[in-house]
Amino acid sequence: MVPFPYLLLPSFWSSRNRVRRRERGDALRLTLFGSVGLAVMTALFAGSFWVTLQLDQYAELGDFLLRLALSWLFLTLLSFLAFSGVVTALSTFFLSDDLRLLLAAPIEKGRLFHARFLRTLGQSSWMVVIFLVPVLTGVGVARCAPAGFYITAGLTVLPFAVIPVALGSGITLALVNIFPARRARDILLLMSLLFAASIILLLRYIQPERLLRVESLPDVTAFFTTLQSPITPLLPSFWAGETLFASLQGGYDLLHGAALWTTALGLTVLLRVANDRWYFTGYSRAQEARKTSFTRLAVLERLARLLPLSVVRRTLLVKDLKVFLRDVTQWSQLLLLCALVLVYLYNFRVLDLDRVPYMRGVIRNVYAFLNLGLAGLVMATVCVRFVFPAVSAEGAAYWIIRTAPIELRDFLWSKFWTGLIPVFVLTESLTVAGNELLGIDPFLKVVTAVAIVFMSFALVGLAAGLGARYPRFGADNPTQVAGSYGGVTFMLVAVFYVLVSIVLLGWPSSVYLLSRVRDVPLSAGQQVLMGGCFLTGIVLSLATWWLSMRSGVRALEEMDRTPS
Amino acid sequence: MIAIHDLVKTFGDFTAVDRVSLEARAGEIHGFLGPNGAGKTTTIRIIAGLLKPTAGRVVVNGHDLATDPEAAKASLGFIPDRPFIYEKLTAGEFLRFHAGLYGIDGAGVGTRVGQMLELFELTEWEQELVEAFSHGMKQRLVMCAAFLHRPQAVLVDEPMVGLDPRGARLIKNVFRKMAERGVAILMSTHTLEVAQEMCDRISIIVQGKIIARGTVDELRQLAGGPGRDDAQLTQVFLKLTGGSGLQEIDGIV
Repeated sequence: MVPFPYLLLPSFWSSRNRVRRRERGDALRLTLFGSVGLAVMTALFAGSFWVTLQLDQYAELGDFLLRLALSWLFLTLLSFLAFSGVVTALSTFFLSDDLRLLLAAPIEKGRLFHARFLRTLGQSSWMVVIFLVPVLTGVGVARCAPAGFYITAGLTVLPFAVIPVALGSGITLALVNIFPARRARDILLLMSLLFAASIILLLRYIQPERLLRVESLPDVTAFFTTLQSPITPLLPSFWAGETLFASLQGGYDLLHGAALWTTALGLTVLLRVANDRWYFTGYSRAQEARKTSFTRLAVLERLARLLPLSVVRRTLLVKDLKVFLRDVTQWSQLLLLCALVLVYLYNFRVLDLDRVPYMRGVIRNVYAFLNLGLAGLVMATVCVRFVFPAVSAEGAAYWIIRTAPIELRDFLWSKFWTGLIPVFVLTESLTVAGNELLGIDPFLKVVTAVAIVFMSFALVGLAAGLGARYPRFGADNPTQVAGSYGGVTFMLVAVFYVLVSIVLLGWPSSVYLLSRVRDVPLSAGQQVLMGGCFLTGIVLSLATWWLSMRSGVRALEEMDRTPS
Repeated sequence: MIAIHDLVKTFGDFTAVDRVSLEARAGEIHGFLGPNGAGKTTTIRIIAGLLKPTAGRVVVNGHDLATDPEAAKASLGFIPDRPFIYEKLTAGEFLRFHAGLYGIDGAGVGTRVGQMLELFELTEWEQELVEAFSHGMKQRLVMCAAFLHRPQAVLVDEPMVGLDPRGARLIKNVFRKMAERGVAILMSTHTLEVAQEMCDRISIIVQGKIIARGTVDELRQLAGGPGRDDAQLTQVFLKLTGGSGLQEIDGIV
């Protein structure tokens, strides 16, 4: 009989082979991802270091707040890990392709369980571990913690991750025994997105900016009191926070440490027993599920017929919309987007612009460009998630497009228009609503509204073009495509474009507004420079749009290998 | 008619297709045979427009694939070996989508879709999502799509994979009928019985090169005349492609 780590070898070998394989652009990719990763880690370290130092100034209150912060940090991670465990377990235990091979082989079910659980644990918790390393190091360095703190951190994080992942895997086991696996996957995905959206709204509702105001200190105390509920000491997040806090002060909290380890081991044993009893029934059900219910969306075809489109473009449009709206992994992301939009608008509504009364007008107009910049970044984020993966979303079915008598130009432009309209409507609404809430100068309202038109063309074109240049037809989901080399390249170029656009619009607008406030007419030189800036902004946008699309079409035409 | 002239395809230092020329004439079923990795699928994918050739020409019904790809593709029906299709469309929607790609629109589409679904025994599945289909059903749906626009040439990669005996018989009948109506069919297959039963002519490719071409009888002659075991194409194929490799089985299994 093979030991269970043997069953993890294929994953290990695959990763090793991926690392060994050399491809064009590897160095650039490594530099890009490495720099972004390093920057995020440094920011996390600096952030936690700074917060810990600040709290250190308040002696006992600082200690109390640090314990509370650790407990809340782990509570957030606990819920994340539980959801991640549920979703990952569905894939590793029930939907993974290699299960057919493994279940047909003479492998003792306990060993298969251990191998799959370890894989689930690794896949669902690696992000949490990577996040915790700089955060806890920042806390440790700021408090000059002894070496024991770092060892305790390792010994705490491991059982802390096992507990929610085991619970999540248990929930999946129960769900798969009740629903068909694909339906369970859809339900889980929807639940996790609703959960993420509600966390975002809740965090905004708490209004963390109040913590920065001295006058709201009594409220803050009340706020923290409400956070301490009687149930908190029963949660693993509390045990992890207490264990770490004790070691931070050079001591040991064996009680909470032991609670973590015994619960983790106990849950693993329970899960294994449940697995022995119900796993095969669940796996067997996951193979069933034939006909599924879905929305016919016949109205889409009728509406599309009203549009002045050629048969080919109309056909592509209807197909893309139907596939998008019937795929839970696709449309459910819109829920998250809605939550972010609500938070975005709410932020502008609660902005306190009257704190510096004599600067009110200037601040408003500065915020107008901040609003434009943020709208640009929202646009880039939406594009990388929805437009960039559009070509890759064809997946293995791309042969149908490639062998059809259509021009690939038609295909890519169809993707462009399908993406442009929703992206434009969303960001233009955000900008106009934000500017209305701010009450900015009418001149700036017009400038920013027009800017969004050009930015939409440029960023949607860039996303569609780069998506065609760097497709990932083999990706499991659009998020994977968005996180690929091409996706990161798009985000970098998009952010750079947004910043340059803000500069090109901001400078001439400020010159104009200043001249109006001072009641001094603009000189001819100033007018020429202003016109030049606006013109450069327009040319930059049109060039980004047109060249990206042309490059995308060419890349599709020159593509040597088509998946089929 | 499907014709390829001096087709070459290299992947780095490896030459997958080496100056291959062949022709499937109107009304002819042309078999394309070869061992695994011989270059059959690469050739088929080049003709379908999925791969760019390193050199050579592909002509479909008089249209050069390089210079007039839309016209060439419009008259070609392609059936790949693995039927990947949009899982979130119903069978009917997929066929209507396919019709739209070929510029077919209007009232006639529904009737044609119905005919194809009936022919391939998928009528009751018209309103079901493709994700619920078995491999064989997807394969039949791809065939519906390939014949939907009444192509003058059909390119098939392993037609019988995943089909049950009833489906296989249906496909054979459909191919024969189409050939009788003047459609050129180029078919790659591993199933030698199918090739022997259906093909008017056969080309055998080994290591990227065509090593033999002709009717089954002509291939027998090429293989050294009719021997004791040469009633079946399998023996001829093994002789032409370099031995059976079965000599040492006893000691291994």
